[in-house]
Formats: sequence, structure tokens, C-alpha cells
Amino acid sequence: MKDEVREGAGVSMLYVEDEADARQMVTRMLAMNYPNLIVYGADNGLQALELYRQYIPEIVMTDINMPVMDGIRMSREIKAINPEVRIIAVTAHSDTSYLLSAIEIGVHHYVLKPLNYQELFTVLDKVLEQMELKRLVSEQHRRLAQSERQLAAGQRIAHLGSWQREPDAEGMDWSDEMYRICGLEPGAVPASYHAFLERFHTDDRDDIAASMQSAQDPQHQPEHRFVRVVRPDGSYRIVRLDVEGVREGDHAAGVIGTCHDVTELKQAEQQVRSLTEELERRVLQRTSLLQATVSELENFSYFVSHDLRAPVARLEGFCTALLEDCGACGHANCRQYAERSANVVQQIKQIMDAFNSLTHLARCALTIRDTDMSRLARDIAHALSAEAPERRVEFVIAEGARVKGDPELLGKALRHLLENAWKFTSRTERGRIEFGWTDRHDVRTYFVRDNGVGFNMKYAQMLFKPFQTIHAPEEFGWTGTGIGLATAHSIVLRHGGRMWAEGEVGQGATFYFTLEPNPESGSYLKET
Amino acid sequence: MAPFYILLVEDNPDDLFLASRIIGKACQHELVTARDGEEADELLRRMEQDDSYRYIRLVLLDLKLPKISGLDLLRGIRDNVKLQGLPVAILTSSDNETDQEQCWQLGVVDYIYKPMTVDRLKGILSRIEGAQ
Repeated sequence: MKDEVREGAGVSMLYVEDEADARQMVTRMLAMNYPNLIVYGADNGLQALELYRQYIPEIVMTDINMPVMDGIRMSREIKAINPEVRIIAVTAHSDTSYLLSAIEIGVHHYVLKPLNYQELFTVLDKVLEQMELKRLVSEQHRRLAQSERQLAAGQRIAHLGSWQREPDAEGMDWSDEMYRICGLEPGAVPASYHAFLERFHTDDRDDIAASMQSAQDPQHQPEHRFVRVVRPDGSYRIVRLDVEGVREGDHAAGVIGTCHDVTELKQAEQQVRSLTEELERRVLQRTSLLQATVSELENFSYFVSHDLRAPVARLEGFCTALLEDCGACGHANCRQYAERSANVVQQIKQIMDAFNSLTHLARCALTIRDTDMSRLARDIAHALSAEAPERRVEFVIAEGARVKGDPELLGKALRHLLENAWKFTSRTERGRIEFGWTDRHDVRTYFVRDNGVGFNMKYAQMLFKPFQTIHAPEEFGWTGTGIGLATAHSIVLRHGGRMWAEGEVGQGATFYFTLEPNPESGSYLKET
Repeated sequence: MAPFYILLVEDNPDDLFLASRIIGKACQHELVTARDGEEADELLRRMEQDDSYRYIRLVLLDLKLPKISGLDLLRGIRDNVKLQGLPVAILTSSDNETDQEQCWQLGVVDYIYKPMTVDRLKGILSRIEGAQ
């Protein structure tokens, strides 16, 4: 026992003795040996009672024969006030008449007169020790009660019931929450093995019985299953049943388990599942719509590439025939008209090719790979500079634009954008073309910027439309069909991105685009 | 020298006219024409029987033909013991890559996008003559 306890820390004692000298002496000895013990002194029973009422000390040490009120009467009164009080009787050998009364009251300790201090201290130590033990036991009780309360509240809040069964026994032990999950008041039915099985859906009972049986096997791994509890009102609860074997040394000591009411969770799962199914159905619907559109486009482009090609080829043939055979005609206009007709045929063919290449972009299969757009941009810039070494254009290309995409198509898009910038800086003294990115509203946005002729924002809508141009063909030595930006736009769309442009006349232009971080490979067309 | 033929299988009258014109300019060979796949097929069978197919220097075959397609005609020629060695050139306005690939696999001497030019045809004929 700790010294502090021995010294009576936090404990108070009432000492009742009518002989003043003896009282003072003992009090002094107590103070020396139990420095932390608070001692209240009284010289008769009545005074002692008053003091007791005032301080409620845990220990009372009292003489028996006293004037006014004797020790026995006083003890009875004090016990009535506090049954827990510990009373030490200080008694002479001759005081035997009081003994029965003392035992009846609950005076369990005594020391003999004349007082032997050693004896007194032994008794007092024993009393203090008993008090400490009692305190410890009640503390344990309190803790146990608290943890039981917590467990019950925890089970209730978590909808987790628990149960236990001795090996192959009929009797069981169910927690309160176990009852509640089954739709019963705690204790409403005796917790037996058969009553347990009866709580569940008939189709699930065999599985549950098998689980409980196999859990007793020492090799058995803890397992769980989802089963249905049928409440008395006929409603179902879905519970997760966990079963584990309990072992004491080498032998099975039964099974223990939990029933977790997961009905709401399962309902939510079901809801998520049906929402997902609905979503998938819609995606399927949209996809088939998209596929229908794409196959229409397919048909249309087939028409252009086959049905239209044949008459155009004929026209070309006749133009050639005219040029070859009219050489001798001598009429100047004939030859000129034939030549111009042949040119027109070439234009028609170019437009058809351009159209086919655009429709191809819409339906071709993407091959998604890690793509370094910085490297692609650098290669294009080198090629452009090499083609026209006389031009002084500064290329500023940001490093590390690594994306997931179709490298061939992204290269094509970048080439159109950079060529566009290249073309429209041809009249700028110190041309500067930049490729880079910014993070706009948390979306990575790539751009190609030039300080060329720029454009009026009111024409911005026309930029990405095929065969439409803002600048007249002859203005910038334009030779194409006007599908460069439309092509770049289409490629960005195929990569789940967006493209737009900002510009000002004479101040250059910036083409921005975003890309889906994880584009899907393949095409919209059904695999056939 | 025995007279050689060029067999032109073409349904469109304009294309027929244009091709005939080029053939006339490119060589001295006689021209035999068939206006659809079936007619070409019958003609080739007759020529196979009387062995006159030996005088065909070149078959110019359009792919899109009524009744029997050019591709099927080509397959028929390649499957026929006697005819399989005939030089065939495709004359088409389609840019279908699959068709083109199949034709090359079936051993055509050329695959020409319409309109055919004199130089192109001369080139083919000189390659054929060189090979013989």
C-alpha cells in the first residue's frame, strides 16, 4: 500500500474520548504517525455527533463509557447517518456487556485500554487498507458500468448487435441492440440458439447454422455474410453477420459474433447501382445517337469520295482532252477556257480532299499515348525556320507540355496553329511565336501566340469554320483550302477539349485550347 | 505480228469515251469493250474457250460495275487456270484504300485514278511488253 494511504491522506477521523489527557496524548501520537489524517476531537457522544454531522469523517474512534451519551448510542446514531462509516471501539477488558450491541451496530474494530499505540496503529492501518480496497473496487465497478454504458450506446448508435454462444449450447447471450435489430424489446424473448435462427429469413438459416458450426473449427478464418432478419411486423432488415470462434487454450469455448444492420447502406448501394444503370443506359442511348450521326457522316463522305469523284474525274478528263485536241483550233479563248476549267476542277478536287480529311478526323480511331507537345512544337518550328531561312522569327516554346493524346493528330493540330502564326507574322518585322500553357480556373490551357496581323474579334466565330477565311487568299500568299484551323479545332474536340482565339488587328493573335486529361482511344463507330 | 487487244470494262459512256481516246493515243492495239461485269465475264469465257484471250495485252477494269463488280471479275481471272496470267490494270475514281490493297494483292499491274493519261498507259504497256 502506498505511504500516502498509510498516512491517511484525504481521510478524516473523529476521536471521541472523555479523558482530556488521554485524548491529547493519542491525538499527538496520531498526528506524528499519520501526518495527513485529519483528526477531530470530542469528549462525549453528543458533541461527537454534532461534529460528525458537520464533517462526516470516514472513521470514528470512540471510547465506550462516556458521560452524556455513551459510545454505543453515539455509534448507532452515526451509523444511521452514514452506514459506510468505520468505527473503532476503544474498550477496557471489563466492557463485555456492550459487545453484542457493538457487533449488531457494525463496530468491527476495537483496541484495548490501556492503549498500546502499536496495537492502535495496526488496527488503523487495517481500516485504512480496507477503505482503500473498497475505493478501488468501487472505482472498478464504476469503470465497468461506464464501459458497459459506452458499449451499449456504441452498439445502439452503430446498429451493431452482438451475441455469444457456448459450444453447441442452446442458450445464448444477445446484446440489447441485437434484440432491437430484430425488432424486439431487449429481453423480450429468451436468447436461445433456436430463437436466434428464427429471427432470420428461412432461406438464410442453413447458412447461418453452418457458419456457427464451422466457426468452432480451429482452422476457421473469420468470415461474414449478408443475411435477412425478419422482424415481427414482417419487415426485413439486411444485416452483416460476423462469426468467430472463441478458443480457450486448445478447446473451443463457443462462438461470438455481431449483427450489423446495414439495411440503409444496402439501400443506398442499390440506389447508386440503379442510378449507375440509368446513367449507363443514357450513355448508351447517346452513344447510339452519336453513332447514327457518325454513320450518316460516313455515308455522306462516301458520297463525296466516290459518287462525286467519278463525275469530277470525267470533267478533268474532258478538260485534258480539250487542251490536247484544241491545240490546232487557233481560237485563243478556247485554250484559255480549257485551262481555267482544268483549274476549277483542281479546286473542286482540293475541296473534296479537304472535306474528306475533316470528316476523317471526326470518325478516325484515336491512339492515345504519352505525348510531348513541346517536342512536337519544337520540331515544327525547326521545319518552318528551315523552309524560310531568310525570315527572322523568334520561337518561344515552353518545355514539358506532356499530355495523353494521339501524337499524330496533336502534331497535326500544332502544325496548323504554328503554320497559321508563321503565315500571319510574315509581315511583322520581329516575328515572335510562342507555345506555352497557363492554368485558367484550374484547367490547363495551352496556347499558340503570335505578334502578327491579328484579327478583329467580331470575326472570331468564322475562324474554325472550314473553307472560311478572314484574310483574302492573295493577301498572305494563301494556297490552302482554309481548313487548317478547322482541322486543329476538330482534333482538339476529339480530345475532349475546347479551342478559342483572341486577337486584335495589328496586335497578333492567341489560339487557346484545352485537352481532356484522359481521352479514350478508339472512335465513335461501332467495332465491326 | 498478230493483232493485240486491250479489253476495257467500263459502264459509264463518258468514261468509256475518255478511256478509248487515251488508248487510241497511247497505242495501236485494238479495243474490245464490255459494258458491265456480266458482259465482261461472258466475253472472257468465250475467249478462254477459243484461246483468243492470248491476244489480250491488257485488261482495264473499272471497279464499280453493274451486275458483277470489278473486284469479283479480277478474282475470277486469277482463279482461272488459263486466264490467271492476264495483265489487269484498275481504272477507278474511288480512293477506297481497302479496294486498292486487295487489288494489289490480286496482282494488278497498276491502280489508276481516273482520268487516265496517255503517259500512264504507255508506261504500263511498255512494262508489259518488256516483261514478255
